[in-house]
Amino acid sequence: MIEARDIIKSYGNGESRFQVLKDISLDIEDHDFVVILGASGSGKSTFLNVISGLERPDSGKVLYDGKDITALSDHELTSFRKKSVGFIFQQYYLLPNMSVDKNVKMGADLADNKDYKTIIGAVGLGEKRHKYPSELSGGEQQRVSVARALAKRPRVLFLDEPTGALDEQTGRQVLDYICKLQKEYGFTIVMVTHNLNIAEMAHTVIKMNSGKISEIYTNETQKTAYEIGW
Amino acid sequence: MVIGIKNASKLIGISVIACCAVLVCTMFLNFYFDIRLIEGKITSELSMFFYNAQVSTAKVVCLVSGGCLLLTAIVMLLFYIKHYIDTHKKELGILKALGYSNLKIAKDFWVFGISTFIGTVIGYAGAFLLMPWFYTLQNKDKMLPEITINYHPSILLYFVILPTVCFSVLSVYYACYKLKKPVLLLLKDNLQTASKTPKHRIEKGRELSFVEDLRRSTLKTKKTLVFFIIFASFCFSAMTQMSFSMKDLSSEMMGVMMLVIGLVLAFTTLFLAITTVINGNTKTIAMMRVFGYSQKECCRAILGGYRPMSYVGFAIGTVYQYGLLRLTVDIIFKDFEGIPAYEFDFPVMIISLVAFIAIYEILMYVYSEKIKKISIKEIMIE
Ligand SMILES: Nc1ncnc2c1ncn2[C@@H]1O[C@H](COP(=O)(O)OP(=O)(O)O)[C@@H](O)[C@H]1O
Ligand SMILES: [Mg+2]
Repeated sequence: MIEARDIIKSYGNGESRFQVLKDISLDIEDHDFVVILGASGSGKSTFLNVISGLERPDSGKVLYDGKDITALSDHELTSFRKKSVGFIFQQYYLLPNMSVDKNVKMGADLADNKDYKTIIGAVGLGEKRHKYPSELSGGEQQRVSVARALAKRPRVLFLDEPTGALDEQTGRQVLDYICKLQKEYGFTIVMVTHNLNIAEMAHTVIKMNSGKISEIYTNETQKTAYEIGW
Repeated sequence: MVIGIKNASKLIGISVIACCAVLVCTMFLNFYFDIRLIEGKITSELSMFFYNAQVSTAKVVCLVSGGCLLLTAIVMLLFYIKHYIDTHKKELGILKALGYSNLKIAKDFWVFGISTFIGTVIGYAGAFLLMPWFYTLQNKDKMLPEITINYHPSILLYFVILPTVCFSVLSVYYACYKLKKPVLLLLKDNLQTASKTPKHRIEKGRELSFVEDLRRSTLKTKKTLVFFIIFASFCFSAMTQMSFSMKDLSSEMMGVMMLVIGLVLAFTTLFLAITTVINGNTKTIAMMRVFGYSQKECCRAILGGYRPMSYVGFAIGTVYQYGLLRLTVDIIFKDFEGIPAYEFDFPVMIISLVAFIAIYEILMYVYSEKIKKISIKEIMIE
């Protein structure tokens, strides 16, 4: 379970100081599918970075099973990320000079996962294992980054606008792969998006508005990636 | 205007190299021209020996240091232009897409020649400042008649004007050549394709770890940087060791001068090379940090591969300086008394190796701290 407690985060100094996260508290259950919904600039990415251990809040705690990760040293925090979390970003950030294989291996090595080829097959890229990112379409690149994140067998998968750069069809496909893989591996999903339709796929929806949580609700039934509107 | 003076300012490495080259070459060539003028005044046979030795030294120094440094400067210039085009592919691609011709875009690259101009002018001026002292030094035992300093305009032409013009032209020409790519290739993010690595090679052999793989591919994708690292350690090794021998063979000041030039060259090159490596891999490093690779592993993957290369450079430098000094002593000074017998100086080699390792590791440590500071935020904002 992830518990965020009284998270405050600001950027800038003096006059231009700007509070991005205004005292956010929130619980995320294990194996849940959480979507954080909000307009651009509402602080979603910042919140995601804070609860995933990429950034430190100005004040507040982030507890994973009761253990506060904001109190960890840089070194411990790195090792926490190595063991517990996976990331997928809007820009895929694949390593351009390495083949699909090697990109996925970047994640796999961290968990000593020798079986990373299975996961490449699972996102439907078995045939393109030896291609380089520049030879793949956007959707395929994002699927590589899904495979890379899951190859390290994270407890929690954080996604920041994973379909933001994709068109409808490839976007649906990527989301579908993520959902299917969650059923298989059982990780927790925390996904940031500004797309209302994608929220229908989630179990828990958290709405954010200018640095605060404005609403939390759960969906009775979760739709699949092909049932939602776009 | 696509590129400004600001971009050219990044070519300080070329300026430094040009400055060193022109400083040394101007001094020796001017000396060579002036000493030729007094040939007629030499009477004794001993003086004639000395005169011949001086003439040959001047020639050898000019050719060897000038040639070496010129080559390095050219490689560095081409590397910079390629690097510039690679990192500004998108802007250049858009210009091309808008209908600018290659030549029109490439024309702006002449500013890269400014770095050469600045370097050569400083070197040239420096040489004339040092020259009175240098002339006295070369003739400190009064073996030769008084050598007066004359001004030779041709040197200005050879060492300042010609290099500047040539480097500017070369920049434009090379940029033009590099821009001869379809617009789409420039606009696309990365050009790496699978065809470069045959599949059977990937399948064969035991599997490397990701960090090891990345270490190799970092080395492979930027071969010029490998050259620069080797060159830097080569300079360090050759120049420090030679400067110690010079102290005995020639004079203390010659030794110090050589040491300073060697260190300046080594550090500029090393600094530039490592900065380029890190800047070129910011995204990779940021992603590795996100995924939980430790700072140490990032360093090993990105910078680790260059360590063996630097030792290779050191070894080449050692052999080179030994060969050069052996040759100088055996051939040029062979009929000359008073020059002590030259032997390979083992203790000096050890000292310079230890100093090299210490400095290299300190630099790596500094850069690893820099790597530590790279965060995902930087590349997300961009
Ligand atoms: N590193 C930063 N420095 C200064 N301001 C920032 C930084 N990162 C984000 N911000 C600001 O914080 C606000 C929220 O950003 P972000 O969390 O990225 O929003 P969202 O992901 O919801 O679009 C924005 O106004 C943005 O300009
Ligand atoms: Mg965002």
